[in-house]
Amino acid sequence: MAENMHTYAFFLGCIAPNRYPGCEASAIATSRKVGIELVPLKGGSCCPAPGAFGSIDLNVWYAMAARNVVLAEEMKTDIALICNGCYKSIYEVNKKLKENDELRDGVNEVLAEIDMEFKGSIDVWHLAELYYDPKICGVKKIADSVTRPLTGTKVAVHYGCHLMKPKKERHFGETDNPMWIEELVAALGAEPVQYRNKMQCCGAGGGVRGYDIVHSLDITNEKMINLQEVGADALTEVCPFCQLQYDRGQVEIKDKFGIDYGLPVLHFNEMLGLAQGMSPDELALDLHAVSCEPFLEKIL
Amino acid sequence: MATVKNYGDPQLEEKLKDQYFYNSDANPNFTKEVEKIGDTLAHMCFQCGTCTGSCPSAPRSSYRIRRFMRRAVMGLEMEALTDPDLWLCTTCYSCTDRCPRDLAPTDVIMAMRNLAFKLDIVPKNFLKTVQMIYTSGHGVPNNDANRAARTKLGLTADPPTTHMYPEFIEGIQKIMHHYDLKENADRILSEEGQ
Ligand code: SF4
Ligand code: SF4
Repeated sequence: MAENMHTYAFFLGCIAPNRYPGCEASAIATSRKVGIELVPLKGGSCCPAPGAFGSIDLNVWYAMAARNVVLAEEMKTDIALICNGCYKSIYEVNKKLKENDELRDGVNEVLAEIDMEFKGSIDVWHLAELYYDPKICGVKKIADSVTRPLTGTKVAVHYGCHLMKPKKERHFGETDNPMWIEELVAALGAEPVQYRNKMQCCGAGGGVRGYDIVHSLDITNEKMINLQEVGADALTEVCPFCQLQYDRGQVEIKDKFGIDYGLPVLHFNEMLGLAQGMSPDELALDLHAVSCEPFLEKIL
Repeated sequence: MATVKNYGDPQLEEKLKDQYFYNSDANPNFTKEVEKIGDTLAHMCFQCGTCTGSCPSAPRSSYRIRRFMRRAVMGLEMEALTDPDLWLCTTCYSCTDRCPRDLAPTDVIMAMRNLAFKLDIVPKNFLKTVQMIYTSGHGVPNNDANRAARTKLGLTADPPTTHMYPEFIEGIQKIMHHYDLKENADRILSEEGQ
């Protein structure tokens, strides 16, 4: 297998390594099985959080995200990451700085103070899009890597916002009803289910979770109602911040609104890990606030 | 292209004059600044409301993105920047993907938030994230329970980020000092007694 490995600098961000380390462990383990090698990006920081930093001062956001990109430029390696928030910062700043000389010059003035320079020599990818891309991996290779199909489960997908939107700054096409992650879910043997208003936000972004938690959870609750309606056994997503909002959010919803959904929430990497035979312990699923047991019982 | 719109009829112009929009609070520069920072032609907004109709925050609050678009066009600077609803946008970009005039209402909000911050108008949680990243490089830092879990997974107790390589934190701090960001965050929080 080692012959055709695609190598990427693995940008971790904050929530995956520091709250859901199973997302990180499963990314490394599952990607290796389909020909992708993730190597550590040493010295990476918070992306920084696009809602918090972008809202305060976009210039700081550009410069701090650019520092993370330059770390990978120095390794001469493209970046792969597993969080939509990180994607917004790292992908979008990389793209903007490549296209806008004035912006790049401004950022490089600041980076010069720390002996760095943005060159625009690498690209940034979400691991999920690499999984889907037949040139790198593709749905078939994902399906072939499955040793424990998730047969008999209904899995709903939350795409999140910053991977595909705004569509004119991305390359995923229409954002009304994408189906490519469902294709990946089906490759694991699960049945992807559709639900109302699938593309609605989880409610966490833009600093709203910290600013007005009840407002934020009310958005999540609307998603939960729509998910419950179709009888999903689990929700999968490609963003640890969405994961946190749905997972810990369900506990907060129970506390504040008195509604208990008990819907397991797993990052796509964790789902893929399960389907490739990883154990719940190897994925640290016990760190999830909502028990994954009801889902695990169906597949183990 | 016409620079001044009129009907070519002085009498009619006179009659219509006091019906043109006039507001002493309006600051035409505000429109320009918002358009520059947000990199979108806000004045092209024709108030169709598709943005508000797409907005997950609208049904559960008084936040109306279309109203903020109007404020941008009219130069209603203080009305926009002092409205607490400014901080209820989740930046989901649904409005941006659907705007029939191809504008980016989300980036209008981001621009307004940047301008509000210059007037020290900013919710505390944003500043606390700044302080956290200044200290550790992470907005959401590691903790002992998580270190134990990481070790069990065969990962390093601290991830190979600024946590494992704290020598990188200085560079981050320098970037933040360049923009006086840490200084301003500390000052605003201490003035609020935090
Ligand atoms: S959708 Fe676009 S044109 Fe319509 S009101 Fe909103 S910003 Fe204005
Ligand atoms: S980006 Fe903000 S204003 Fe636009 S739809 Fe989403 S929450 Fe509403």
